Amino acid sequence: MNIFKVFMTGFRTANKKAKMLVYLWVINLLFSLFAVTPLYFLISKEFSRSFTGEQIGIGLNMTWLGDFIYKYKDFYPAFIGWILVFMIIIFLLSIYLNGGIIGRIVSEDERITFVDFLSDCGKYFPRFFRVALLTLVGYFIVFGLLFYAVSQLFKVWVRNATTEWTLIISSNIKFLIALLLFTIVRMFFDYVKIRLVVEDSRKSIRATLLNIPFIMRNFFKAWALFLCVGLIVCVVSVIFILVNSFLPRAGALLIVCLLWGQFYMFIKIWTKLLFFSTEYHFLSLSGLR
Amino acid sequence: MKLLKTCFSYFLCVCSIIIIAGKNTIIAEEREPSLRYQIWVELDDQDKMLYGKEEIVWMNKSQDAVRDMWFHLYYNAFKNEKSTVIEESKESIKQFGINVKDGEWGWIDVTRIYLADGRGLTPTMEFVTQNKPIHPDDQTVMRVIFPESIMPGGEVHVFIEFQSKIPRTILRSGYYKDSYFIAQWFPKPGVYEEGKGWNCHAYHLNSEFFADFADFTVHISVPEKFVVGASGKQIKAKADKESGKITYTYEQENIHDFAWTANPDFIKIERDFIADEEITKEEYQEVARMLQLPLDDVKLPDVKMILLINPEHKDQIKRHFNALKAAIKYYGLWYGPYPYETVTMVDPPFRTRSGGMEYPTLFTAGTSILNSKEVLSLEGVIIHEFGHGYWYGLCANNEFEEAWLDEGINTYSTGKVIAKAYGQGTIPAYFNRIPMNWFFKFPKYYDYELDRTLGIHVVELDPITTYSWKFFNIVSYGLNVYQRASTCLNTLERLVGPETMLRILRTFQTRFRFRHPHTQDFIGIVNEITGKDYSWFFDELFFKTLNFDYGISSISSKKVKELVRGVFDINGKKEEVTKEKIAKKEAKDKKMKKKPVYLSKVKVRRFGEARVGGESDLKIMVVFEDGSEETVFWKGQERWKEFVFTKPVKAKYAQIDPENIWLIDSNISNNSLKLKPSRKESFRFIYKIIFMFQNSIQFLSALS
Repeated sequence: MNIFKVFMTGFRTANKKAKMLVYLWVINLLFSLFAVTPLYFLISKEFSRSFTGEQIGIGLNMTWLGDFIYKYKDFYPAFIGWILVFMIIIFLLSIYLNGGIIGRIVSEDERITFVDFLSDCGKYFPRFFRVALLTLVGYFIVFGLLFYAVSQLFKVWVRNATTEWTLIISSNIKFLIALLLFTIVRMFFDYVKIRLVVEDSRKSIRATLLNIPFIMRNFFKAWALFLCVGLIVCVVSVIFILVNSFLPRAGALLIVCLLWGQFYMFIKIWTKLLFFSTEYHFLSLSGLR
Repeated sequence: MKLLKTCFSYFLCVCSIIIIAGKNTIIAEEREPSLRYQIWVELDDQDKMLYGKEEIVWMNKSQDAVRDMWFHLYYNAFKNEKSTVIEESKESIKQFGINVKDGEWGWIDVTRIYLADGRGLTPTMEFVTQNKPIHPDDQTVMRVIFPESIMPGGEVHVFIEFQSKIPRTILRSGYYKDSYFIAQWFPKPGVYEEGKGWNCHAYHLNSEFFADFADFTVHISVPEKFVVGASGKQIKAKADKESGKITYTYEQENIHDFAWTANPDFIKIERDFIADEEITKEEYQEVARMLQLPLDDVKLPDVKMILLINPEHKDQIKRHFNALKAAIKYYGLWYGPYPYETVTMVDPPFRTRSGGMEYPTLFTAGTSILNSKEVLSLEGVIIHEFGHGYWYGLCANNEFEEAWLDEGINTYSTGKVIAKAYGQGTIPAYFNRIPMNWFFKFPKYYDYELDRTLGIHVVELDPITTYSWKFFNIVSYGLNVYQRASTCLNTLERLVGPETMLRILRTFQTRFRFRHPHTQDFIGIVNEITGKDYSWFFDELFFKTLNFDYGISSISSKKVKELVRGVFDINGKKEEVTKEKIAKKEAKDKKMKKKPVYLSKVKVRRFGEARVGGESDLKIMVVFEDGSEETVFWKGQERWKEFVFTKPVKAKYAQIDPENIWLIDSNISNNSLKLKPSRKESFRFIYKIIFMFQNSIQFLSALS
């Protein structure tokens, strides 16, 4: 099985079914608007009639930052609560949307409709929710136990350091290990979700267990494929940041900056499709075993 | 005639000598320290011990007969969990707590103390706590009783033998592997205050130090592998081949503390600050003009700069020296020449947790291997710690009782020097110790902006003038004495003008050099230089916990109606003005293109408790749609006041304190109020938040 071929097949599928991008982007934007609207009204009420409001748009500035923190210092718990609530909602929303994405990728029907997409979202939500709970167990095993053990070794190394280099190198190696472990967990449970859709099974634990020998057998190929797509996300992000730094921040050309930002979002959502489509083809070509 | 001329010249010459000699005597008397130290100390690198002998000569300059002597034994702060420092750290915010591991404690034992004539004082030794009864088992202050009182003008000659276990650095002083930073390490007498006795506080978590000016001679013996740096000037280095040790001798007059460091890896570099190369004639002239001083009075001497730097920071040597040069230059020009021959800048040895701290003629900086040149943290710490040579080193206030006098003034001064020498700095951001400033643009700021942003949050917790250990917590202590005090001083500068402020600080520095000033001395100088009574400023902002917040509460502009509905007595008749009549009148006015008149009302409010006072008032500026301006002033004593303007145009906006003089105002956003909102900028800000949120969704969805 040639990884490059799998990647290209997945690439074509992601493009063929790119209509989903529009749904996902609109949902992403609307949800963000919904979440941020209260803040907009707050900012408008407090600052739109003040000169401070003019500074807010330009960028972070010590004066308005100080005022803002001072004014709302008693609202930190509410603010943290707001963040937590939205984190949970985002978590649930992404579980819901994953059903639609994988459902449509796996579907032989190349025509994508919003109704079909939503119907897949609803259909797979309960099983994907169970997978999400299993993912949390996976994170606990990998980070709570494995990574914790690795961290202890680093602690011993760092304890006797004689130069700051040790701290710089160790903390970055640790971060890299954490990142790679995260990709493994994420990849593992992606295949569980795809398996559930392909087999149209409701048995999440069974699918998880079945996935273990598959991943063990194909670990390096599967991981390489995952990292390839991950690399695209990184490259796209670097390009975005570089270009963004040259874009105008004021005047009529500000719209270019806004569009560029949304284009970046579009590409990021597309890479999500690419992750699932490449993984689907890899799983299919491996015969689900 | 010739004889007369000669006699006259001779007379003038003699007079000049007498005057000069007299003047020098006054200075010498004023500045002659009441203390002399000679210390011999030996470092035992193996057991992390110091073995020392100290000879102290103390002169009683008060009018009291002094019966005892109090000493700081600061190292006992690290002796056990009963010390004030450790107990206070347990009560402190967790992040600022001290966690001493087994085997890492430090202590100091005075093994013998006696007078020059051999009479022993050891039996009279006792630990005392000036701040009873909170930490009764603290052993950081020791008292001995003399056999007879030291009479005014009398001297006492005391010998002390001591040994100390160096702690694995806990607070500023200690070791890590074979690197040492040794501060607050020798028995140090408190400051005798006439009529009050010894001022000798225990070592507190939220406090720095206080001591008397002295002449120091210190002999430091260390194994030969070490590179040593210390307060003062190295005058001798004698190697003993038998013991493999080198004894370095350092001397310095007129300082009130002595610190040293030893590390085998230090790179020692010496450079000269040559005043003529660093300062132009125009700069001298400008400063002399601002200070209203003769040119010669602002001239600076050369200074030897010594840098002890870790090899891994070798590429930052230039940055270190450039920052130090800027500090010597501007502190010298503005606040008076640096009076010592040397200044030693120490890049703190790895993990000795001794960075960013000042000692007379020596200070510690602090940097990282990876850093961005846009971020001025390194420059900031160098300028700040050197600046303490002035505010703490020369104007030696009691840091236990009035910490703002050095920390606040120095934070203010640091901001001025950084702004002058470097401009704005960039907010630092690190990820895994890698500077994110390399990759992303971060906002720039002046120090005074950051100080205000931080300082306003603690206004209602404690007065700035609170005793250091009595602040609500360590955050209140830090933000009040550094940032809030600096913000208040920046406010004062904006009130009195930058040149007057410069003269205030110059006068304060020169008048209280080698002395121990108090807050009232500073206020006195402010009043003297400005010629006005600014006591209210300090009462409101330094001695109380009053929030300062004035703002525009409302603004409105309404067309003045010449006719209003109702019944009116006109020429003895009752006449009713109806809606119809009004409409007719308005139509007629419109036809005749008669300009309407608007009544604009601006309501200003004092939201906070603090008030402006003295001759100061608040400027209120109202700008109208045709660009015209109206300016009114308000004393700001009432809770609110309404100003009314009648003009042929509507008001556009109103602004209180448009020049932003009152930097300490905790809510600058309510200082301006437009008649019509503009939501464009809010939208731009919100778009950024939306984009951040969109990214967060993508990031979080990766977890599921």
